[in-house]
Amino acid sequence: MHTTAVRRRPRRRRFLPYLLLAPALILLVGMVYPFSLGLYYSLTDYWLQFPSRFRFIWLDNYIRLFNTPLFGRALEFTTGYTLVAVTIQVGLGLAVALFLHAHIPGRKVMRALMLMPLMIPPVIAALMWKIMMDSTGAGILNYALSFVGVGPVNWLGYPRGAMISVLVIDTWGNLPFISLVLLGGLQALPNEPYEAARVDGAGPAAMLRYITLPLLLPFIILAVTFRVMDSLRIFDVIYATTAGGPDDATTNLSIMSYRYAFQWYQMGTGVAEAIVLLAMVVASSYVLLRLWHRTAESAAQ
Amino acid sequence: MTSLPLLQRRYAPQRGQRSTITALPLSRRHYLRNAAIVVAAVILIVWTVFPFVWILMTSLKNSADIISAPPKFIFRPTMGNYAALFFGTHRGGYSTTRPDFPLFFVNSVIISTGAVVLSVLASIPAAYALARFSFPLKNSLGFIFMSFRFVPFLAFVIPLYLLYQRVGLYNTHVGLILAYQLITLPFTIWMLRSFFMEVPLEIQEAAQIDGCSWVGILTRVILPLSMPGIAVTVILGFMFCWNAFNYPLMLAGRETFPVTVGAIQFISYDQVLWGQMAAATIVSALPQLLLSLMVQKYIVRGLTMGAVR
Repeated sequence: MHTTAVRRRPRRRRFLPYLLLAPALILLVGMVYPFSLGLYYSLTDYWLQFPSRFRFIWLDNYIRLFNTPLFGRALEFTTGYTLVAVTIQVGLGLAVALFLHAHIPGRKVMRALMLMPLMIPPVIAALMWKIMMDSTGAGILNYALSFVGVGPVNWLGYPRGAMISVLVIDTWGNLPFISLVLLGGLQALPNEPYEAARVDGAGPAAMLRYITLPLLLPFIILAVTFRVMDSLRIFDVIYATTAGGPDDATTNLSIMSYRYAFQWYQMGTGVAEAIVLLAMVVASSYVLLRLWHRTAESAAQ
Repeated sequence: MTSLPLLQRRYAPQRGQRSTITALPLSRRHYLRNAAIVVAAVILIVWTVFPFVWILMTSLKNSADIISAPPKFIFRPTMGNYAALFFGTHRGGYSTTRPDFPLFFVNSVIISTGAVVLSVLASIPAAYALARFSFPLKNSLGFIFMSFRFVPFLAFVIPLYLLYQRVGLYNTHVGLILAYQLITLPFTIWMLRSFFMEVPLEIQEAAQIDGCSWVGILTRVILPLSMPGIAVTVILGFMFCWNAFNYPLMLAGRETFPVTVGAIQFISYDQVLWGQMAAATIVSALPQLLLSLMVQKYIVRGLTMGAVR
C-alpha cells in the first residue's frame, strides 16, 4: 500500500499522514488522559466522601484486593464464566452456522431473524428475559418448562440459577454473532478441497473434520477473541438481572469494581480492580490476536 | 426419488454413490432427516423470536393479566402501558414512576447522533491515512485505535466520572457525546479504513496523473466511491451508541438518561412495573430493528470492525 505521493515529495508529505490523523489523535488523548488519571488514582487512597484522606499509597489497593475473599470469588467467576460461556456459545454457534449453511428452505428468513437479538441493547435483552424468568407463576419460562416435567425454577433467586440465567441471556444475545461470523466464513470457503475429497470417497463427517474445521479456524478464533473480550467484561446483563447477587454469586470483576466506586465510593480500589481486569483482557487479546494472525496466514497459503 | 429432498446438502453423497447409512430405505431416511431439520428450524426460530413476541404481548396487557398464573395467551389488548409511558402519571389507573420516557428517547437520539457525527468526521482523514499512506508508526497507531474496542469501560469511566464532576460535564449531553466517542471512534476508523481500501488503487493513480492533490483524491475519488460504506458506518455506529448502557449509567443523570438506562428505572425497590417496562423495551428496541434491516448485509462486518467481509 505504498503511495507514490509519499516517495515523490518526501519532505512536504512526510507529516501529512500525521496531520490527517490529528483529529482522531486528539480524541484519543481524550481517552488516554482519563485512563492515566485512573492509573494514578489506583495508587491512591481516594474516598469520595473523605477527600482529606487522599494520599499516595503505592500498591496497597492491589494488595488489599488480593486479600479480599470476594475478589477471589469474583476472579474465579469472571474466568470460569468466560471459559464456560465461550465454549458453549462457540459450540452452539458452529452448529447453527453449519445448519444455516446447508441448503434448507427459508434460511434467508432465519438469517434475518437472527439479527434481532443481536442488534437490540443487551440491557434491554436482559430485561426481556427477566420478565420471562419471573418465578411467581406468571413467568412464561417456568410455564413452558412445566410441560416437559421441569418443576418451577427460581431462576434469579439462588446462586447456581442466577449464573445459569446470565449465561442463557448472554447466549441468546450473542449466539447470532458467532453464527453469522462462522456462516460468513463457511460461505467464503473454496470448493476444490471438497470436490477432491468427494472423488476420494470421503463422508460428510470426514469432510467436516478434515476440511471445514481447519479452513474455518481463523473465523472460529476471531469469534472466540471477540467473545472472550466481551465475556471477561460482561456488566450490563448482570447489572440488570442480578446486580451481582444472590450471595455475590454473579459478582464478576466489573460488577465488583462498580460497587467499590459507585456504592462505597472507594474510587482508588475501584479503578485498581478495573485495571486488574484490563490486564487480563490485554493478555488474552494479545494471545488470541497472535493466534488469529498465524492461522489466517497459514489458511491463506 | 419421489420428492425433492428438503435438505440438499452440498456435499452429500450423490445418487448412485455409496452412502454411509444403508440400514434404512432411501425414502424413509429422507423423511427422518427432513423431520429433524424441521424440528431444529422450529427450535431455532422459537428461541430467537419468542422473547420478542412475549414482551410485545406483555406490553399490551393490563396489570392483572400480567401477573396472572398461569400466563395468559388470550387477553383484551390495551394501550395503557404505552400511554403511561408517553403521557405520564396515573393515567387511567396505570401508575408510573417514569413519566419522562419521551425525554430519554430524545436523549438517546441526541447523544448517539452527536457521537457518530463527531467520530465519523474525525475518522475520515484518519482512515484515509491508514488506508492509503505508509508511514512509521502506522501499524502501531492502527492497533492502538483498535485495542480501545476491547478495553474494560470501568478503567475509563471511574476517572471520567471524577473529572466530569469537577469540570461540570457530568449529566450533560456534551459530556456524554465525548464519552460515547470511546465506543464509536475505534469502530468508525476501522470500518472506514476497510471501505477506503476497497477503492481501486488504479482510479487513485489515474487521478494523481491528472494532477489531483491528496485533498482531491479524498474528496473526489475516495469519498464519492465509498458513500455506501460511510452510510453503513454511520448507521452501525448509531446503533452501537443506542445500545450503550455502561457509560450513561455512571455519567448521566435523570435529565440526560438514554433509553437503556431509562428502561431499568421501572425496577424500583418496592415494585416492578412489568407492563411499562415491556412497553419501554419494545420502544427502545424498535429503532434498532428497523435500522438493522437497512444494513443487514454489513452487520457482521461491522461487529468484527471490518475483519470479516
